[in-house]
Amino acid sequence: MPLKHAKWITGIITLLLIFPIAIGLVGTLLPAFQYFPPLGEYHISLAPWRNLFSQGEFYASLKLTLITGIGAPLLALWLALSLLAWGYQRPFFRKVEAALSPILAIPHAAMAIGLLFLLSPSGWLVRLFSPWLTGFDRPPNWITVQDPYGVSLILALVIKEMPYLLFVMLATMKSIKARESLQVGQALGYSRFTLWRKVLIPQLYPIIRLPIFIVVAFSLTVVDLALVIGPNTPSTLAVTLLRWFNDPDLSMRLMASAGAISLMLVIVVVLAGWELAHLLFSKLTRAERSNGKRFGLTDSLLRLGVVLGLLALLNAFVALALLPIWSLARRWRFPDALPSQWTWDNIDRATPLLIELTSNTLTIALITTLMACTISLVMLETKRHDMARSTDISKPHLFDWLIYVPILLPQIGFLFGLHVLLIYLNLNGDLCAIIALHLMYVLPYVYLTLKGPYLAYEEEYLLQANRLNHQPWRNYVLVKIAMLKPAIFTAFAIGFSVSIAQYLPTLIAGEGRYSTLTTEAVAQAASGDRKQVGSMAMLQAFFPIMVFWLAQFIPPHWTRWRLVLKNLFSRRNKSCSV
Amino acid sequence: MRKSFVAASIAATLALSSLPTLATSTQTNASQQSWQDTLQQAKGQTVYFNAWGGADNINDYIQWAADRIKAEYDVTLKQVKLTDTSDAVNRVLAEKAAGKNSNGSIDLIWLNGENFRAMKDNNLLFGPFSQSLPNYMTYVDENARQSLTQDFGTPVDGMESPWGMAQVIFMHDTATLSNPPKSIADLLTYAKAHPGRVTYPEPPQFLGSTFLKQALYELTPYRKALSQPADSVDFEKITAPLWAYLDQLHQVAWRNGQTFPSSSEEMVRLLDDQEIDIALNFDISSASVQIDKGNLPDTVRSYVFTGGTIGNTHFLAIPYNSGAKAGAQVVANFMLSPEAQIKKQTPTIWGDLSVLSYAKLPAAEQAKFDALPRGIATLSIEELGQTLPEPHSSWVGALESEWRKRYAQ
Repeated sequence: MPLKHAKWITGIITLLLIFPIAIGLVGTLLPAFQYFPPLGEYHISLAPWRNLFSQGEFYASLKLTLITGIGAPLLALWLALSLLAWGYQRPFFRKVEAALSPILAIPHAAMAIGLLFLLSPSGWLVRLFSPWLTGFDRPPNWITVQDPYGVSLILALVIKEMPYLLFVMLATMKSIKARESLQVGQALGYSRFTLWRKVLIPQLYPIIRLPIFIVVAFSLTVVDLALVIGPNTPSTLAVTLLRWFNDPDLSMRLMASAGAISLMLVIVVVLAGWELAHLLFSKLTRAERSNGKRFGLTDSLLRLGVVLGLLALLNAFVALALLPIWSLARRWRFPDALPSQWTWDNIDRATPLLIELTSNTLTIALITTLMACTISLVMLETKRHDMARSTDISKPHLFDWLIYVPILLPQIGFLFGLHVLLIYLNLNGDLCAIIALHLMYVLPYVYLTLKGPYLAYEEEYLLQANRLNHQPWRNYVLVKIAMLKPAIFTAFAIGFSVSIAQYLPTLIAGEGRYSTLTTEAVAQAASGDRKQVGSMAMLQAFFPIMVFWLAQFIPPHWTRWRLVLKNLFSRRNKSCSV
Repeated sequence: MRKSFVAASIAATLALSSLPTLATSTQTNASQQSWQDTLQQAKGQTVYFNAWGGADNINDYIQWAADRIKAEYDVTLKQVKLTDTSDAVNRVLAEKAAGKNSNGSIDLIWLNGENFRAMKDNNLLFGPFSQSLPNYMTYVDENARQSLTQDFGTPVDGMESPWGMAQVIFMHDTATLSNPPKSIADLLTYAKAHPGRVTYPEPPQFLGSTFLKQALYELTPYRKALSQPADSVDFEKITAPLWAYLDQLHQVAWRNGQTFPSSSEEMVRLLDDQEIDIALNFDISSASVQIDKGNLPDTVRSYVFTGGTIGNTHFLAIPYNSGAKAGAQVVANFMLSPEAQIKKQTPTIWGDLSVLSYAKLPAAEQAKFDALPRGIATLSIEELGQTLPEPHSSWVGALESEWRKRYAQ
């Protein structure tokens, strides 16, 4: 990017990022130490912490959070690695890859509602086999969802996270030269799984460490998924905190703030533990990895992971396929596997809302994602400059850390603190505020997706173009950006779907005055009416899926279309000149 | 033309109510004048009405009211759909924290009980205003129900305007359960005979908390103490029978008492799926409405316990920093009109009970109330029987935290 002041711009953007993060943190820290002027609390004290530690529910919630928050990313990582090792570069795996985007695109709440209907005792699976096989005229009194151990919550988390990890891994395959390693290894007689285990996964891990951290932080702090499919006696810490923050007894907010701070600490400790465990693990397995054996017993772990991973994907697809059926159902009672009466009423009722919601949703998502893409490009250009100049490549810019803070922090607490800032700036309830908050959550994903391909770009192309014809901006757009098209489109699609799925940031910044498809869908989910949720979720999923599909469809055809257009124009020009 | 008609009709209704004594008549003249000022001020204002948005029949009703209010008073009513009323309370608090003492984001809130107490105690409300609303003065009889002046034991003091009344009802499917249990004690007997078919929403969901209060009313020998603040009495002694009861109930409850439904809507779904046999609700016409929407089979009926069930009133309040206080009062007043209350009590629309005094209504409006159709599964006022008053609002928090301590860890 021929930008002269890229460094300055980076600095300003960094400052703009620090400001809300700091305010959000301070806004959570002060109440946690009893300083909260609106309730007349002006004295720093440890009382909120004492209250917190005297709550039995805190410990029970914490335990559950640790089980689900560590279990889910571990499982998701294992299954994603297994699927990758099994299918990479095989023709049919392309289909699995294409199937990932709808799962990535669909909002968590909608997915959870779909799973709930699939797996509950009165759900579709039991209906399918009742009463002819099971003999159930009425649903059995089983605990298959919202179980006290959080198994169903872990399953829902894995279904959302595994595709994301797989997506990220696929993007890094080139940089670790996976194809070449596989060829060499297989020529040496290593089995596929062994090769992945011994050679590729150890190389892959450091590159995808950050996405893994994001997934861990997400699992520890998720609210909407846990509300729908998580256990409630006790609930996970994030849900418990949300309840405390919303307690009509306003002084509960002090204890809730202390809880939010502890949740932040939990994230830090878990991530540190995760890294430590990885270090230990790679130390312990080093000998095994270099023993020269072409097969290993632990290969079957990957094999098992493939089966489980495919099962999880299948689960997700059936759950997704069931939601649209609900939006057309009038009566659909146990044990009917399909509705007994159909109707257009549900869709009719949802239609008037549609136009307003859709325009709000699309405006916010498009502006946010375009801004995120632009900012990411500027930041990456600065980073590329620094890397080209200094010999110490690994030196990260402050920005590299800051950008991930919002998604690593629990939204509860942090956003409440930030809300006060918005009111001070008189930006509350404003579209700008919503976009700004969305940007905080979209930017990291866009940046992360673009980072690898952008930095790996062979700068020689651009230099050569400039030597031939010195038009830096034109060449930047027509050569570099054009060559990075697939990555930019993918980053746009991810950013777009992240923006669409935002619930708490939209609600808090927009103060409910701007409804989006997601805020409406979660409000409807609160009513538990599957027909309404079915129609809403379908719409909510429609746009991200479209954008993902376009992101895959446009880049390969772009050049052809461009040439067709160009020919059309040049022909017209010619005919004009003749 | 329309404006003058409205003014005339309001003057007429006020004139009717001011007949009895000269004193009230002059008083009414003054308030009539100030109400005219309010109407003037309200013109062109936009009222952001923060109301729970989980039921679309209620949202539709609010939209109907918005259209009427726009046409008649030139006030724009916009519903901000909440998933939890406390979101709105929190927002007013955050605005106070930021020193935003005027033009706040909320102009009107639908609330009662604990949320009202929290806002009133923290000076987050505008008022008193309700007792000077023309329709309140004309049609509301404060002595008709205790819950009109005591919101869960917190004095209303004109800081909120009544909107509707609710009472706990139970629903059962006559096809699977013809003779439902009609007391808390019978409910346990039934649950023991049919394990896994009885449950209640998870406290602190308000219906769940209400179930606890209902059970406490029937089980405790110290009923009188419930109207006192919970910390001024022997909480342990009074509630001991409740916990003993729940310990037994949970063993035979839906999903073994390990999880609980999150709302009355989820209970409707579970009843339809036949996972449970009895659902409870705070909306007396919900069974009819849900049958109509295809969410329940038409064999479902409502019933109440023989000893009566808990009922309360829900209100509209105006935050202290609202920028459209006049508009909000116009809305609150419209919601108290016979037209709005009749529409609201129509079972297929909402079915929420009117807060107006039947005796104070003109004969024509009385006839309209008499002519309201009842859904096939809605109980009449007589069938609803005795209404038990809400305990003091401090009991909600006390019962909830004890419940969570015992069953949610």
